[in-house]
Amino acid sequence: MKKYLLLLLLLVVSSLPLFAQDSSDVVTKDEIMEIKGAMDGMNETVIEMKNTLDALKKIKISGYIQTQYQIADTEATAAYSIGNFSGGSFPSYVNSRFQLRRGRFKINYDNDLTQYVLQVDVTQNGVGIKDAFISVKEPWYKTVSLTAGVFDRPFGFEISYSSSSRETPERSRMYQTLFPGERELGAKIELVSENKKWNWLNVKAGFFNGVLNTANENDSKKDFIGRVGVQIPFQEQNLEIDGGVSIYAGNVRNNSPEFFEMNTSTKKFTRDSSSANIGKYFERNYLGIDVQLYYDAPVIGGLSFRGEFISGKQPGTSSSNNFYNPGATVTPLYKRTFYGYYINYIQNVGLSNQILLKYDVLDPNKNVDGNDIGASGSNLKISDIKYSTLGIGWIYHWDANVKFILYKDFVTNEKVNSIATGSFIPFKNDVHDNVLTLRMQYKF
Amino acid sequence: MKQIILFTITAILAFGFMESNEIITVKGSDTMVILAQRWAEEYMRKHPETTIQITGGGSGTGISALINGTTDICNSSRPMKQSEKEKLKQRYNTLGVEIKTAKDGLAVYVHESNPVKELSLEQIKNIYTGKITNWKQLGGNDAKIILYSRENNSGTYVYFKDNVLDGDDFAPNAQNMPGTAAVVNAIAKDKNGIGYGGAAYAKGIKFLKIKKDANSIAYEPTTENVKSGDYPISRYLYLYTRSRPTGALKEFIDWILSIEGQAIVTKVGYFPVR
Repeated sequence: MKKYLLLLLLLVVSSLPLFAQDSSDVVTKDEIMEIKGAMDGMNETVIEMKNTLDALKKIKISGYIQTQYQIADTEATAAYSIGNFSGGSFPSYVNSRFQLRRGRFKINYDNDLTQYVLQVDVTQNGVGIKDAFISVKEPWYKTVSLTAGVFDRPFGFEISYSSSSRETPERSRMYQTLFPGERELGAKIELVSENKKWNWLNVKAGFFNGVLNTANENDSKKDFIGRVGVQIPFQEQNLEIDGGVSIYAGNVRNNSPEFFEMNTSTKKFTRDSSSANIGKYFERNYLGIDVQLYYDAPVIGGLSFRGEFISGKQPGTSSSNNFYNPGATVTPLYKRTFYGYYINYIQNVGLSNQILLKYDVLDPNKNVDGNDIGASGSNLKISDIKYSTLGIGWIYHWDANVKFILYKDFVTNEKVNSIATGSFIPFKNDVHDNVLTLRMQYKF
Repeated sequence: MKQIILFTITAILAFGFMESNEIITVKGSDTMVILAQRWAEEYMRKHPETTIQITGGGSGTGISALINGTTDICNSSRPMKQSEKEKLKQRYNTLGVEIKTAKDGLAVYVHESNPVKELSLEQIKNIYTGKITNWKQLGGNDAKIILYSRENNSGTYVYFKDNVLDGDDFAPNAQNMPGTAAVVNAIAKDKNGIGYGGAAYAKGIKFLKIKKDANSIAYEPTTENVKSGDYPISRYLYLYTRSRPTGALKEFIDWILSIEGQAIVTKVGYFPVR
């Protein structure tokens, strides 16, 4: 007991100087004010830093690189090309290649109701502008926005579905033919309501130069492009059906005294030659419908079916059925009526794998079939041949940034008339132009 | 064609059932962290074969993790945005499965000594957008109002911005705190502070009664008032999965919605949905 008393006494004695020290160190009012001043200063600094940080948060940087190795069934030759719709034509005498397919870098300054977007594409072919636009949304209902510059044409589904998210390495032949580069210079209005009553509906429409991507305008007419889209979720059934109807109404100027028009009864192109034909405008009209179905299937997981059908009039040239920009060139126009479609099935397997099937068709001249092409005096060209492509692929998502795609295109061309000669000869049979793609993508 | 069918079937068989879910990862809302931890502790005690890992970070962070495939379940104190659903659709071809697990009254807190007892939604909006800056304007002391808010990856922040501020921006002097607990701690030390957050966190500070407009009755965020809908700022607390839950994931979610799981909701201070 004595020991404990002694210990307690020692503790009390030893703590006395501490108490004395505490009482001598009483914080004065001035010191409190000094600390408060320092705190206020720090608070101001924090607020300033927060403002800077908030401004920086508005800058969003993203990008992706797609690099790939491709093998074609045979070497490309001067007689026919391979891979036009699988990332670009293989050079002659080449059946395999490494390619930097896309190298995108995008800066988006998002100020909530206004946006600045600039995207460039850096590949082995150089640097090109992909997007450069301004977007302004009205502040009252936050529903209507105006976008101007170079941006995706508001048509269908596949254009606006980013190449970094798309499961197939390339868009369908139909889209690459009708909308090469996907973008165009123009202005559009978009209506997307944040109100739950109306957010199932979206409308976008605008006027564009109609001359391809960033090319300069070369006529006085503007092309109209628009889409009305719906999104109908059935949340209880884990199902959503989206879709839309799109229209393209434009014109192509004929700079030549002659043009060719399809005679649907004789199945031949007939030539019309007159100086009065110079400066005539021919319709470039497309009408499209697109549907996407998403379903979370029991046991097997998420899947989607997507499909689009487009039909219309496409003025081209003798050698090309592509979207044509005549510029100042004096080339006779060939007026064709086309149709095309694709259907796409994607099946998620587990967390990291996806399997896909795609079938697409483009008939650039629906008034003729293979047997008419190459027939004597038909004036029909290789660019009138119908193509179908079956694609089969597997995607492996390595992590949130990296994915691998293994994909094979089985391309089938319509067989031309057996008496055909010259450049038609390779197309008497199916050209060996299937392409296997192994792609690696990094996205951030 | 046979080759294609064979390829497809082989790939489905090879990769379809590779992943097992004995470890369940849960990420998201800071508001729901305590609730999720209690659920996990209790569930793991009864199911030792299952490991559940809980992390916060905010609803937005949780939803991003769900999209990136780095979490199995996302806790969220707000519904998923359309843009987030689009990303999920693009990557997984699913819409995400939304499960309402609890209801929460979003409380507005002030220091215990603050004489102000109630506010209307419009007054709260004017305070947080910087139109009202002094407690005197609200019948309180002549002192500057110190605003405490949450970071913008927080579901609470998004809910408050969308439903109380009607989408308007917060005043620039609002201080963003890393969690509801941090907001509560700050207000407990700041007699001129005001903050918002889950009712479950409100300890050591005072709730304000809230009224829909100047002429309405003001209500406290009590169980009865939140359940009846009289309290004007209430919300659901959600779980999200990428697709229909199966196996261990489904068992855990079913348990959360069971009497046992919902009893924990009440214990933590939220309101059960079943």
